[in-house]
Amino acid sequence: MAKREGMVRVTDATERITHWLLAGSCLFALLTGLGLMFHQWEIIPTLLGGYYATKWMHIFSGVVFAVSLIAAMIMWWHECKFVADDGKWIMQAGGYLWEAEDLPPAGMYNAGQKIFFWFVVVFGIIIVLSGLVMWNPLVFPVVLARWAYMLHVMSVFAVASFVIAHIYLGTFANPGTVQIMFTGWATKAYCEEHKGRWLADRELKAEAESAAE
Amino acid sequence: MAEYIKLIDLTKCTGCRACQVACKQWNELPAEKTGFSGSLQNPLDLSYDTWTLIRYDEFEEDGGTKWIMRHDACMHCDWPACVKACPSPGALVKTDTGAVVHDKRFCIGCKACVVACPFDIPRYSKKEEKIAKCTLCYDRITDGKPPACVNACPTGCLQFGPKEQMIEQAHKRADAVGGAVYPSNPKYETHVLYVIPTEIQLAQLQHVNPNPKMPTTILWWKNLFKPFTLLGIGGVAGLAALHYMIKGPHRVSEKEEGGEADG
Ligand code: SF4
Repeated sequence: MAKREGMVRVTDATERITHWLLAGSCLFALLTGLGLMFHQWEIIPTLLGGYYATKWMHIFSGVVFAVSLIAAMIMWWHECKFVADDGKWIMQAGGYLWEAEDLPPAGMYNAGQKIFFWFVVVFGIIIVLSGLVMWNPLVFPVVLARWAYMLHVMSVFAVASFVIAHIYLGTFANPGTVQIMFTGWATKAYCEEHKGRWLADRELKAEAESAAE
Repeated sequence: MAEYIKLIDLTKCTGCRACQVACKQWNELPAEKTGFSGSLQNPLDLSYDTWTLIRYDEFEEDGGTKWIMRHDACMHCDWPACVKACPSPGALVKTDTGAVVHDKRFCIGCKACVVACPFDIPRYSKKEEKIAKCTLCYDRITDGKPPACVNACPTGCLQFGPKEQMIEQAHKRADAVGGAVYPSNPKYETHVLYVIPTEIQLAQLQHVNPNPKMPTTILWWKNLFKPFTLLGIGGVAGLAALHYMIKGPHRVSEKEEGGEADG
């Protein structure tokens, strides 16, 4: 990949594809799920070709979600481990609510993004497992099957709310962010501001490499 | 349309299975091929094609054998868990007769009703990808006729009539024979009632829920977390809009070098 003046490459194609598979399947499953749950919104199943078709679309988008969730876990697990600085970041709400004076520089992801990741992992796993039970509920003990339906929607409530925050923070709240998931590039200034520790580590590494040559 | 109740008087059932056959005939349900199972109960369970079944419970008594025969079918709950669980409008409907009716045209085969039912009544067919169950012969009772099973019953074990009248009759009969009316949960009424004589213990019988109620998990699923999803999505979107108006976007402090970073 060619260099771009004043720009830093933040994500590779695998990362971006995984992100959008996860996001797309999540949003489509949410849409079809809401259409199946709220009888007032008959418009959703109607546009998608009926309730029966919507049921299968919901199941298939759930399968895509499950697979991309596994890929996402493998990819981001390490980067999303918490470090000491994350505590400071959380105590100041990332500077989003009041002026934070000594916000520690974030790594690849800040503490808020890490919390979102672990939130999606935990509730995503509950959604996938309960969804598997709901796909074939009659082979399970009835009490377990009933719990699955309740946990499924409870976890959707948790994840969907956080997804809205994630979308807002990645677009309107922080211009320049969502481009990273489209093009892979961010400005150097953006990286210094949002990914300071990651950028510094990267530059150190690059220096060491060129020194070794 | 008035509300109706089907009354089943266990003291009067002789196990002749006229009701079971009449149900098949009226609803045009095919017979099932069954084998010898060592029990009089045949077939052994309700199915997609068997909406009512006489269950035989066998007991040893004074050196002899005693049977308890019980007409088992949909209880037509007043606040049906299956209807609450069903995602497809029209597939399961509680009618104003009290009958809970399924409509195969709308069923998408999700099996949620089977899981939700406190009486384990709906039966799923893999082949059809739909469920089926007793409809209280909705097509007959709206035409002024009793359900096919009641019509066929020769002993008066099955009776059908307006709600209040049947409740009164059930309690009168229970008092007369020394027994109880089942179900007796005032918070979970049904449009089918049993008169159970005292010598019969509900816990001894197969396929009986001694304390039927709306399953709590089903209630929380639909009445708590379902509205929560919208509250969560809407609430966070509202907070985000507020945040944007109060704090505005967080722009990168230094002058952008080269790139177009704005979004
Ligand atoms: S199986 Fe059919 S009737 Fe039962 S809940 Fe699903 S769509 Fe409704």
